[in-house]
Amino acid sequence: MSEPVIVFRDFSFCYKSQQKDTLKNINLTINKGEKVLILGPSGSGKSTLGNCINGLIPFSYEGKIKGSCKVAGIETREANIFTLSGHVGTVQQDTDAQFIGLSVGEDIAFSLENDAVSRKIMLEKVEEAATTVGMQEFIPEVPYDLSGGQKQKVALAGVLHDDVDILLFDEPLAALDPAMGMTAVDLIDQIHRNQKKTVLIIEHRLEDVLYRHVDRIILIADGEVRLDTTPDELLRSDILKSLGIREPLYISALKNAGITFGPQDHLEDINAIDISRYQDKLRSHFEAGKPQLRKPHVSDEVILKAEHVSFSYGDVDALKDVSFEIHKGERISVIGRNGAGKSTLAKLLCGIIRPQQGTISFHGRNTAEFSIRELGRLIGYVMQNPNQMLVKDMIRDEVELAMKLNHCDEAEIQKSADDVLKMCDLYSMRNWPISVLSYGQRKRVTIASILSLRPEIIIVDEPTAGQDYRHYTEIMGFLEKLNRDYGITILFITHDMHLAIEYTDRSIVFTDGQLIADDYVFRVLSNEDIITRANLKQTSLVQLAVKAGIDPEEFIHAFIEEERRNRESHE
Amino acid sequence: MNNSKRLFVNVKPGHTFLDHLTGKTKVRTFLILIFVLIATWDIRVILPFLFLFIGALISLKPDWHKVWGVLGFIIIVNLFNLFLMWLVEPNYGLNVVGGSTVFGRLNGFYVFTYETFWYFFVRFSKFMATFILSLVFIMSITPSEFAAGLYSIKVPYKACTIVSLAFRYIPDIARDFQNIRISMQARGMELDSKRTKLGNRVKQNILILAPLIVTSFDRVGNIANAMDLRGFGKKKIRTYYAEHEDTKGDRIMKPVYLAFLALLIVLTVEKYGFPSAYEVWCPWIH
Repeated sequence: MSEPVIVFRDFSFCYKSQQKDTLKNINLTINKGEKVLILGPSGSGKSTLGNCINGLIPFSYEGKIKGSCKVAGIETREANIFTLSGHVGTVQQDTDAQFIGLSVGEDIAFSLENDAVSRKIMLEKVEEAATTVGMQEFIPEVPYDLSGGQKQKVALAGVLHDDVDILLFDEPLAALDPAMGMTAVDLIDQIHRNQKKTVLIIEHRLEDVLYRHVDRIILIADGEVRLDTTPDELLRSDILKSLGIREPLYISALKNAGITFGPQDHLEDINAIDISRYQDKLRSHFEAGKPQLRKPHVSDEVILKAEHVSFSYGDVDALKDVSFEIHKGERISVIGRNGAGKSTLAKLLCGIIRPQQGTISFHGRNTAEFSIRELGRLIGYVMQNPNQMLVKDMIRDEVELAMKLNHCDEAEIQKSADDVLKMCDLYSMRNWPISVLSYGQRKRVTIASILSLRPEIIIVDEPTAGQDYRHYTEIMGFLEKLNRDYGITILFITHDMHLAIEYTDRSIVFTDGQLIADDYVFRVLSNEDIITRANLKQTSLVQLAVKAGIDPEEFIHAFIEEERRNRESHE
Repeated sequence: MNNSKRLFVNVKPGHTFLDHLTGKTKVRTFLILIFVLIATWDIRVILPFLFLFIGALISLKPDWHKVWGVLGFIIIVNLFNLFLMWLVEPNYGLNVVGGSTVFGRLNGFYVFTYETFWYFFVRFSKFMATFILSLVFIMSITPSEFAAGLYSIKVPYKACTIVSLAFRYIPDIARDFQNIRISMQARGMELDSKRTKLGNRVKQNILILAPLIVTSFDRVGNIANAMDLRGFGKKKIRTYYAEHEDTKGDRIMKPVYLAFLALLIVLTVEKYGFPSAYEVWCPWIH
């Protein structure tokens, strides 16, 4: 019955530029019609594995292959990428770059154009593919007007043609907000079931992918297949944490309560969990650890205050009558879907644009009095992509740049640079070239370069986008330390709810330029109305709490506090 | 978001007669007409075309505010150019028109002749015709149609694709540039023209280029992979989604551009086969 479509036998691969094998001795069989999650931390080789299947290896990335990899019966090293692309449709991570056409229709048609299909047939096929992914209304639209989720649907439609029987998704959730991510997982599932395609999903966000059933999970670590098993079995084990992959929150909550799982526990789908088995333990654990409600801020000193701030671009209102206060030393998450007004807020706080109505004051002084450069010394802005910020070759030069631009005197520059480099644990690397640094290290350099001006507040835009749990923990741990040890107030602009839960105390939520919530994180995330309006996703903690008959708000609160305690005792 | 529109380029096709033509017809007509205008200095050819192109521009129902902006600029530059030519050689008409009828003079060197002004008039008309033709072409074609049109005249499709890709990613790169600028400003880079000297501003903008190039290279790698994965370069031939079947307009335009082609051949044969002593035709001399 089961017919293998992808078979790796004693397969190893070594990139031309590298000394060591990225994939080591892979033995793996994937059968027709299966839906498989390839799970692994960054740098584990999971994307390389994907590239071996779709033919980018060895077509675009040269290297040494040992052993055999057969896709649809074709030995990949002997085939070319075009033959393989007839069998494997790949949806890449970067939704922007893979949108090649100048309209939705054109992008979906791209592979048909390359096949020299006549336009008449092309129109029908484009319509059909667009309908499958629910984008038929958008065929004439241009890419600049689409959301990340819509672009991804178009990318999927673009590879759905004809005899493509394997669909490969390379980190499909990386560029999407939580609600879009759910839609994407759902769509992938529908296509898997309706079109009987073999589906491979490469991801590290386990909980989000498990929103819909997968048949099998292949866990890759250090270039090897570590585990090849069912979701249930994987969740029962303790292997995930040790590899730097985040467990689903409901599993962590159950494990925190001291519950151990056996073969009879089905854990993959939170709705199907038989809660009666764990209810008592969960409740007693919850009652024992019920936390006190703390003030979200350690100091009563108001550092920044926005009063009735509005801003619009032409006719489009980007922010409408927004007011809030920030206290010294707070950690705040600014949440909202794309276009909700988050980046406009960041620009306003940094003084790059100025409020059209209302005022923003810093320590009681209206920021209209400050020039953008003066504000830059008070409020620092760290962009999402460190590559967009790094302009110098050497770490030290980068850290000194902002001070030089502000004409500080040489002695001060030297001293301040040394201090900041030490603060950010970069001092021993101060003379390294930036090009050799990892993503996380680059991020740290950008933060150091902002901190060199000693701002009291830093705004960090999506600090962990595209990062796996280990790097995520590393970056966030570092920011947490800056907050705790140096009292720096941090605003996180994010749509990562795990981040908000674990590392911030208060959330400010935006929708369509309006501030719709400003409260404790656990309250925001247990409020269904806010979740829907801000394109967030209900956390599985809420579902678990409801099932166990515990108040969701208190349950999330207790979970947050316990995770923090665990993290601190870990350090 | 609407960067592409600021460049006068439409990504979505419009709704007028010219918009509805295929890329093939647009590109062919444009190229033939450009060569006609390059080939001739005869006002009897240039002037009718100039009016035709103005008519075409009106038919596109453009945003006149923007059109007058560029048109005004071009007219001023062009007149200034003619003025400079006159400064250098006030009796230019003698060489190209073949006469020197003086109707005013400042001194022994700076004279006004009818022939020179006739030449300037022809030159101005020719330049304006060329410019308006280009404007009409740019405003009526989408980048994808342009690629398809180039392909129809046997330009290799890999070259055609570069054209449409450039238009696809220019707005993205512009947005990256904006972001980088913002982060640099927040770090204390002064880009305000009132507060910084030009030299400094140029230097600082160059600093912004480094991260822009790095991010653009990242993107190029991803684009190349996405194209490979969808079979770009698989076959020698290619079809275009943006290139629709011939409409009635295309069937009307085909004899029209063929007639223009015939005119081009006549003009070229005349120019090289029967060269006249003076290139610019003038009613009171010839």
